[in-house]
Amino acid sequence: MLKPLERGFFVGYFKKVPADVRVLMIGFIVFFIAAMATTSALLSLNTESPGAGSYADELSGEHLVGTMEVKPYPILRVPADGTKPARAVMLAGSGKFGVDDRALPLAGKTAQAGGIFVKRGDLVMLLIGGEDDLKAAKLQIPALPVTPVSENLGSWRLTGEICDGKCSAGAMKPGTGLAHKACANLCISGGVPPVFVSTAPVDGHIFFLLASKDGGPMPAALLDMTGLPVVLEGNIERRDDLLIFKIDSFREETGA
Amino acid sequence: MSLSYKPVIWNRTKIIYDAVMLAGIFIYILIFLRLGPVISSALRDTDLPIQRMRAFGSLALLMLTIVLAIGPLARIDARFIPLLYNRRHFGVMTAIIAATHAYYVLGWYFSFSPTPQLTALFTSNTSFTSTAGFPFELFGVFALVILAVLAVTSHDFWLSFLTPPVWKAIHMSVYFAYAAVILHVALGALIDRRDLALAFLSLGGLATLCVLHLIAGRRETSADAAASKKAPEAPWVIVGDLSEIAEGRAIIGAAPGGERIAVFRSKGGLSAVSNICSHQNGPIGEGKVVIGFITCPWHGYQYRPEDGCSPPPFRERIRKYRLRLEGSSVLVDPEPLPLGTKLEPLAIPAELLPAVAAPKKEGTV
Ligand code: HEM
Ligand code: FES
Repeated sequence: MLKPLERGFFVGYFKKVPADVRVLMIGFIVFFIAAMATTSALLSLNTESPGAGSYADELSGEHLVGTMEVKPYPILRVPADGTKPARAVMLAGSGKFGVDDRALPLAGKTAQAGGIFVKRGDLVMLLIGGEDDLKAAKLQIPALPVTPVSENLGSWRLTGEICDGKCSAGAMKPGTGLAHKACANLCISGGVPPVFVSTAPVDGHIFFLLASKDGGPMPAALLDMTGLPVVLEGNIERRDDLLIFKIDSFREETGA
Repeated sequence: MSLSYKPVIWNRTKIIYDAVMLAGIFIYILIFLRLGPVISSALRDTDLPIQRMRAFGSLALLMLTIVLAIGPLARIDARFIPLLYNRRHFGVMTAIIAATHAYYVLGWYFSFSPTPQLTALFTSNTSFTSTAGFPFELFGVFALVILAVLAVTSHDFWLSFLTPPVWKAIHMSVYFAYAAVILHVALGALIDRRDLALAFLSLGGLATLCVLHLIAGRRETSADAAASKKAPEAPWVIVGDLSEIAEGRAIIGAAPGGERIAVFRSKGGLSAVSNICSHQNGPIGEGKVVIGFITCPWHGYQYRPEDGCSPPPFRERIRKYRLRLEGSSVLVDPEPLPLGTKLEPLAIPAELLPAVAAPKKEGTV
């Protein structure tokens, strides 16, 4: 038999609240508000820094001029100019869009690109703004030094994370990890160049542009591996200051 | 009760309830989004939309945990019953907070893309075969859908439209929503960040809820297991002794088959009714007779002792049972009478009246 304890009886529409109920409820209200405040403080404070990636408006309206390459992704090869060494700049669009549609017609030609950079360490991506930001340069190839060929750095097996090069460079903070996986996949599917963040450097670099074995865009199967620790094997190739990791094989890191 | 469905019938208790709830929500969001970034540089460096999704996501989880704790708390100690009274608002608010979280997620991680937001939500991550990397968002979607359905059908209109058993069955799916949220957090933010505070909120909350439900469940099952003794003559069962029933209160018997019957004592008479309130299956026997009406402890629905009907204009009805006294033993026939049957309270013989339990301290109303 259930015998309820003889306690003050509460019904919501009564004016009177029994003393024992009132005492407990006042206690509960205090506890509730305190619990909300502490939980909020603890959860907000317990977070990791998203790191130093950020936007950088370095061109301030000017343009970069170079040769447009479109494999594996649109890259502008900016020749050395006395003070600065040659650069290979990855290009992406605004939002989760690449610039394939605008870059393809310019393949092999001299192009001028404007926009804003996102940068994290040696990872640099130029985000192209409006239509006018990417077009054929008035000055064509013969006037510019010929782009050097790529240098092969050999075969490597590296552990790290596959991310979209834009968010991990600081377009979103944080722009890596599992919470960001779906978002990274959208970026990569949309044409934003994917990068690999290695746990160990190769030739001083920890970021690599990802490509398929034959130098085309990253294999779609790798979308299942974004945001996670993975082990990738392949050939690394250097184009100016950019390292490109051409993937032969991949597997999830087994935690060993 | 159920004659007309006003959106809200306000009273002081409800206003206090909602004010405290809203104050808690406000404080949570204020501290997270205003104080947090001031104190923590890591949070300051995090994008505002991500701060917001984390604030609202964790708040939704906290609120869901609290709302699920209210039930067993009220079973364990009747003084927690005021928390149950307006729990509907707490649930609806939880759904709104969770939807806000999803809104920020959609507007950030799933936006700015050639793929439309909702398509992106379901197609951008298809790692269904792995644990780490599984599209944990889908568990969130599942939970949010349930919370939204519950919020929409939470009003008493739906309760009477769907009938209490169906309504109750639908609303039990809140446990699926909770399980999905735990998976959502465990496979998402927890593996990702190894965040101690979040682990404590989700897994600590889960453990607390399990313990509370186990304690409350044990009490209920042991009460049912101690089924009322059968009287020598069928079909009567012995519910208890007259002396155990305080004026205005009831004792509860468990008929064979688990049906619970409450025997109320009021003004020298005894009435046996079903222990299950026709509103939300509240335990009527833990209620009280208030100005002549049997009153459910959960939301205060009232029934006449003589026929189990709510006073006009309301139309709720609960079952009545036949009742007999054998000396001071209270006997009940576990076969219910047809709904609405009138059966005057059984008068307690004058010689047994002194056996009345000690008068209560608290007055009625
Ligand atoms: C359409 C539905 C939902 C989607 C798309 C969704 C998506 C997400 C995403 C992407 C995150 C990771 C955020 C980050 O750490 O940066 C997250 C975290 C979270 N979600 Fe959801 N969610 C949904 C529904 C829910 C619901 C219904 C609840 C709870 C009732 C919930 C509770 C949480 C919690 C507690 C976190 C962890 C917050 C933190 O990182 O501190 N989510 N959700
Ligand atoms: S369950 Fe709501 S009043 Fe009884």
